[in-house]
Amino acid sequence: MRKKAVGMPFNWIFAIIAGGFILFLAIYAAGKFIKTSEQATYTQTAASLASLIDPLETGLVSGKSYMIPLNKKSKVFFDCDERKDPPFGRQTIAFTGQTFGNEYGETGGRVSLRNKHLFVEDVIEGKKMYFFSKPLFMPFKVTDITIIVSDSDKYCFYDSPEDIQESLEGLNLKSIVFVNETDECSGIDVCFDNRRCDISVDQASGLVRKNGKNLYYTGDWVYGAIFSSPKIYECNVKRVKARFNELAKIYLDKIPILERQGCRPQTGPALRSIIGDIGGSAELGNLYNQIDELDRLNRLALEGCELYYNQNWDR
Amino acid sequence: MRLKKSQLKIQALKNLKRFLVPSSSKKAQLKIQATENHRFPELVSLNKKSQLKIQEMAFMLVAVFLFFILVGLFVISVLYVDLQDKATKSAEEKTLAAITSLADTPELSCIASKSNCVDQDKLITLLNKTVYQNFWPFSSLRVVTFSGFDKNYDEMIECTLANYPDCELFNIYDKNVRNERAVSSFVALCRKSFDNIGVTNKCEIAKIIAGTELKYQEKNEN
Repeated sequence: MRKKAVGMPFNWIFAIIAGGFILFLAIYAAGKFIKTSEQATYTQTAASLASLIDPLETGLVSGKSYMIPLNKKSKVFFDCDERKDPPFGRQTIAFTGQTFGNEYGETGGRVSLRNKHLFVEDVIEGKKMYFFSKPLFMPFKVTDITIIVSDSDKYCFYDSPEDIQESLEGLNLKSIVFVNETDECSGIDVCFDNRRCDISVDQASGLVRKNGKNLYYTGDWVYGAIFSSPKIYECNVKRVKARFNELAKIYLDKIPILERQGCRPQTGPALRSIIGDIGGSAELGNLYNQIDELDRLNRLALEGCELYYNQNWDR
Repeated sequence: MRLKKSQLKIQALKNLKRFLVPSSSKKAQLKIQATENHRFPELVSLNKKSQLKIQEMAFMLVAVFLFFILVGLFVISVLYVDLQDKATKSAEEKTLAAITSLADTPELSCIASKSNCVDQDKLITLLNKTVYQNFWPFSSLRVVTFSGFDKNYDEMIECTLANYPDCELFNIYDKNVRNERAVSSFVALCRKSFDNIGVTNKCEIAKIIAGTELKYQEKNEN
């Protein structure tokens, strides 16, 4: 017996192929559309986060802080490049949030910051972000050390010096705990007594050991060294020095204007000698010796003839 | 006799097959004949109908495809305009946030312990510094002294090192963008002045004006 073949009309085959192609294109376009919308939202969030850093400019106060709640658990990515956008370098912020099944979505576009110095880890993850800033003097105010930590990163400070404790406790940050003998704290251990911890601060040598790297500090740079990744810290040391150089040029140009008013500032040569690049945090100690000399000369000026004022600088 | 009968039967069957069931090649021949043969118009119209159906379906599919593409383009264009709006709004927010704290930045902050105060002696040194054009997130940055409040920019006396401090407009930088929206904030503007008592701070009210580049053409623009 001969078998009868099952025939399919041509128009059916054509409809299936064309329909399949249209369906594929529609699904592909929908996927792309969702991805682009997600990226646009996250880029906008990163831009908003960048805008929120502006009010942290300290002015005359010794520190500022606030908390930003996020709708869902999110990740913020930070990067720093001292060679981009010379002379100031730049930092970037990118944002992504959790979607279905605790998976993170496509990361949004990177938003650049040139006039801020964020001392942060490379990636911060959490539902709340704590922002705080401290002014940085060299010896005039150069920038604000802006620090961002999340609620999921708890910093446990052991045997911290009083000035650091007072300064940070005043900012009322829930992510930083100063551990007493009776308290318990589990998180990132920050030790000031030469113990081996996640972050060890050697005050005698002005050194912070973190992730197997040595980060050198002087004065308030210690906050930056504790809370930022070694890469971002070293990058910001160079960026801050670049901003210092441009500010020094402004102050040098200001000297002839003060001289018009009968002032005779003696700070010019000392200021000019400090202008230049810095190799890394290891050179901060030497830089601050020159800065101390500059400040001594500025204090010698007649009343009203000082080149700069730095009442908030504790040395 | 029996053999002859059976031979006759086979012959009869063969003849039947020949006349009743034509072979496949003959069938095809018949089909071709039918298409060419105008003696069978029903068959011809049936074939044309199916061709028309295929054409109809193809046109329909192309139309549906084009429709979806047009809808997609429309959605993308709407979203793209929205995206530009959002980017502009975000830039404006950034300008607003930055301008309120601008007077406290080290480049402008005052000589003495005053908040929201711009050091005029620093400001004049900033005029020729192009490095700050990409430092702040503004398309233009100006400071207007009190005497220039009621004047247009072209009526104001622009500050230079030669005419300082007898001037009204500190044009720190201007990127000369086509569409710009400016926001302003009042600040104290202080400078060192020598008088009978000695060197003192002389302050006046001033306006710091920062521009944001608009990425889209303003709708109500004339």
